[in-house]
Parts: sequence; C-alpha cells; structure tokens
Amino acid sequence: MSTPDSVATLDGLMNDGRPDTLPSVLEAAKASMIELLSQAPFPPSAVRVTVGPVTIEMDWPGTAPDAGTALEARVVPAPAQTMPTPGDGPVLDHIHAPTVGVFYRAPEPGAKPFVSEGDTVVPGQQVGLVEAMKLMIPVESDRQGTIEEFLQPNGALVEYGDPLCSFVPADGR
Amino acid sequence: MFRTVLIANRGEIALRVARACRELGIRVAVVYSTEDTDSEVVRYADEAVRIGPGAAQASYLSIPAVMEAARRTGAEAIHPGYGFLSENADFAEVCAAEGITFIGPPPEVMEALGDKSTCRALMADAGLPLLPGTLDPVSSPREAEVLAAEIGFPVVVKAVSGGGGRGIGVAHSAAEFPAVYRETRRHAAAVFGDGRVYLERYLESARHVEIQVLADRFGNVIHLGERDCSVQRRHQKLIEEAPAPGLDEDVVAAMAEHAVQGAKAAGYVGAGTFEFLYDGRGRFYFMEVNCRIQVEHPVTELVTGVDLVHEQLWIAAGHPLRIGRQDVVPRGCAVECRINAEDADRDFVPTPGLIDELALPSGPFVRVDTHVRSGSRISVFYDPLLAKVTVWAPDRKLALARMGRALDEVRLEGKGIRTTAGFLRSVVDSGEFSTARHDTGLVGRLLEPRPVAGEGRVTAPSHAQQPPKAS
Repeated sequence: MSTPDSVATLDGLMNDGRPDTLPSVLEAAKASMIELLSQAPFPPSAVRVTVGPVTIEMDWPGTAPDAGTALEARVVPAPAQTMPTPGDGPVLDHIHAPTVGVFYRAPEPGAKPFVSEGDTVVPGQQVGLVEAMKLMIPVESDRQGTIEEFLQPNGALVEYGDPLCSFVPADGR
Repeated sequence: MFRTVLIANRGEIALRVARACRELGIRVAVVYSTEDTDSEVVRYADEAVRIGPGAAQASYLSIPAVMEAARRTGAEAIHPGYGFLSENADFAEVCAAEGITFIGPPPEVMEALGDKSTCRALMADAGLPLLPGTLDPVSSPREAEVLAAEIGFPVVVKAVSGGGGRGIGVAHSAAEFPAVYRETRRHAAAVFGDGRVYLERYLESARHVEIQVLADRFGNVIHLGERDCSVQRRHQKLIEEAPAPGLDEDVVAAMAEHAVQGAKAAGYVGAGTFEFLYDGRGRFYFMEVNCRIQVEHPVTELVTGVDLVHEQLWIAAGHPLRIGRQDVVPRGCAVECRINAEDADRDFVPTPGLIDELALPSGPFVRVDTHVRSGSRISVFYDPLLAKVTVWAPDRKLALARMGRALDEVRLEGKGIRTTAGFLRSVVDSGEFSTARHDTGLVGRLLEPRPVAGEGRVTAPSHAQQPPKAS
C-alpha cells in the first residue's frame, strides 16, 4: 500500500471506555471520510477505514504527500454535537433533536423532568425525549457537562437537528 | 382533490411531483434531510420539514419521521416518488392506519407484486408468458444447481425482494453458477434484508420493453403504450424511448393486453409498469411490475400528452379514470437520457462534489427534469442522477439528432465531477442504436476492449473525447 495522503485518528473518541461509543465513532468516521472525499482534488484510488482506534486512509497512486496540497485530516462532528464557540466565557455545546417530532422534558405529563438546568449529566444520560408517530425516541447527552438552558419548551414541535438545550462540557472542549 | 400533499422524496422526482401539485392547486409539503437543506424542492415547497441526517435510513426511509411530517403539515396524501419508500408495503399500511392516502397501489397489492416469487405465480395464473424458471424461492444451493441445469444456461439468479437493477446475478455455465448463486444471496440479504432468490433463463440478447398502465379503484385499467429501455449498464437503465423502435405492432399490442390483464388480476390501482423481455423473434416474457411512477415516465408523457403524475393524484383522490384508451393517441417519438454524475472512463464511479457552473440543454422539444443548478453539491448519500434530458420529434431520426444536439449542450464545471453526457452521446451515435438493432447487451459491447487495427493491442473506446457532431 502506498503512503497515505490523509490520516485521521480518533483515539480520543475511543478512550472513554464506553461500549456504546463505537456507533458514534463510526458515524464520525463516515462523516469525516465523506467530507474528505468531497474536498479531494480528484477521487482517490483506495480508501481504507479501520475502527479501533479509528483510522481513515486514502491513497492517490503516484502522488507523494505535498505539504501545500495535502488534505488536512479532521473529524467532522456528528449532528448531535457542535464545535465549541471561541471566546472568553464558558464553552457552550448543544444537544440536538435526534428526529422530527414533539420534544418532552419528562417521561410523562406531570412527572419530574429527566434533568433540570444546572444539573450535571454524564454520557448516555437521558435529558428528554422526542415523540414521532407514537415512538418515544430518547434524547441523550453524548458527553459529560452541565445543562445550562433548555432552548425548547416542553411540547415544542422540533425538527431533526434543532438545538434542544445548551450545556457546558466538563472537558471544556 | 387533496388540499395538501406531502412529497416523501428528494431530487428531480420531488420537484416533478411538486410541480404537478402546484398545477392542480394542491399545497406542496416536502420532507428533507440536512444534506438537502438548500435543494430546489425545499425552496419550491409551501412547507418543508427537516426529518433527519443525510443517511437515508434515518431520513427518507424513516417511516416515523415521514409520518410525523405528514401529521405536522396536515397532508391528506403522501406521494412517495420512486425509490425510498415508494414500494414499501409497510409504509402504505401505516399511511392507511393513519388515515393518510398513499399515492400508489393498496398495500396488499404492493406486497404481492413486490415479492417477485408471488408476483410470478400471480402473473402465470393470469396467463402472462414467463421465462422458464422457478416460481418458488430456491431453498438450498444443491436444489439451485439442479434447477439451474434443468432451466439451461445462462441462468439469472434474482433476489425475491430485489429491484432497481440490484440483486441480479448471471451464471453462464454450471461452473460459474455456485459462486453467482452465493454472491446474489449474500447481496440480497445485505441490501434487502431478504436472502431469498429464484432462478430464470437468461436471454443474452433481448429488448427490455415495458407497458405503462393506469388503473382506478373501480377495476378500470388502460395502458398508455410501451417504452423501450434496452440501453442498460449492469441492469441500470441509461436511455429510454417511446415507442419501441422496430417492434411489430402486433407484438406490442399483445404485450399491452397482457399488462392490462395482469393489472386487473392483481387488483392494481394507480400508475404502474409491466416489464417484459422481447427475444427479437416474436416472443416476449413477463419480468416484473413496478408499483410506482418510474424515472422514465417523461417519454410516455411526451408521446401521449398525458401527465402521469396528474393522473396518479386524480386516481388516489378516489376518482374513476378520466381518460379512456381511445384518448391515448401516441404521436411521434420521445427519447430520454439520464445524465449521471459518473465518470464513464473510470468504470462509472460516482463523482460527488460541488457544481461551479452548470448549463443544461433547452430549445425546441427538449424537456429537462433536474434538481441541480450552479452551486449545488452532489452528495455521496444519494444516487448520482443529475438530470433527465428528454426530447420529442415527429420521427426517431430527428429525435436522435435532437438528443445529440441536447447532449452536446450539457456543460458542467466542478472539481472532480464528471457527467455521462459524452458517453450517452456515443451510445446515441452508435450504429446499433441509431438503426434500432440494439438490445440489452449494447452498452457492454460498446465498453468492451477491442483490438486497434494494425497495432496488435487492445484498448477501450475513449469517451473523454468530444463525440462526433450529428450530421
């Protein structure tokens, strides 16, 4: 195999020790690969994706890596995440709607909300649900942090990707 | 008629259906994925609902998400276009349960016809001619080998749940058969979630001819003539035309009669297509039914003047057919070319990317169905169809000249993006096609490496060169 022109390693996503990280790593790997392919000057002759730790390799035969033109490998965030906003204040992230539907903060009317503003959440913790066609689709945080503010009221009509709440990630990233 | 119709699709067909709705005074609602946020149909629609990410499984194929969008937009009916959920009987059932009209045949009809095995049995009972083969799915590799030998080679292995040219493998000999059988089963299980296959005699050189039908819920069925879709590459259609050139009128009439008979036997409702293979010697065989509007429907529209999507909506709204067979008077010749974002010089690999500049054909008697413009991004998530260019002329000779002219007018600039326009031009110009002596093997023959006179080596025809101008 010739020297890869582009390598993206996602060790960070693999190192949190959770078994359910793999789907998100795969999703991120796929999104990253698609992004790289769409920006490539011409299609590669080979693409290899390995998982654990995740590596994406693309080969362009007969072309040596060129510092001026080589693609910069990067991980594209999955729709459930947004990149941190630069600035002086605390870094904000958001949790987004996993599908179109009606957003609820509690498991049933009158019940205690899954989480409240100011609560700390851990990866995989449910913070709400979206109902679509009588299916209750859980909304979970994919990282540790503190819920800052709910951006959608209980019972709001949301679409896929709408930000549901803002939170401050514990790792500041 | 419906007040609001939700279009559960994307690309050119979503825009095509939206235009039909607009013409009939129907409010247009659409679903879209994050990849299609800037799409033409989202701009065009009265209401658009973002239902999921680029991956179709979580957006255009998500029944809960589409139904939620239907509920939210107050849609009384859903038009599924082609592909995605268009032939999903479960989806049609959910629509019925929710009191929303699915624009297509009833779920039970779709289920029977979608299962190729059940469909063959149903059509055999209705008197349609079938190729020698198995009516039931084959149960084991050993049984398959025995049956294949009985049918006689070449044999085609077909996925029971296949469609759109996928889930098909051809074995030319007993030695090839086990590998083809295994691979087709594996592919069918992976793609359709159903590894069942059946066997059929494979016709090496046949014409693919299909009959368009319209049927209402009162048992009335008419046909709108035939389309020739023999120009295919790996079972994917590239060029379609109406009428089928060089076919005996009696053969076409018999085929159409069988299609109407089959539709009646199945209790078909809506617009549908019966596909046949014609062996060139007066015999034809039923292949399958497509329970949806098809990509190539414009050629029928241009020769008959009937707007098939209007008729779909009319029938779905519960009305009896408003046109009779006597109203369908075919005139002239129409040809359609599918312009894909693919590189014909590199085995038709899809070429996604950003379109910087795009100019598509126009002029007299040229119809272009597209969803892209300068600035559009061709996504890796979806099929590479950029545009369908369809021309009409009083006769086939002029239609092909007009198509050649139209293909020459395709201009696309965009890093890494290639189109199949040049390749299609070379097919249109080929002697076999222009004299209507072609069959389903034409593209394979044109792409075959062939010796170059005097040089003693082989080369593939170059499609990168500008094809010769039509005389």
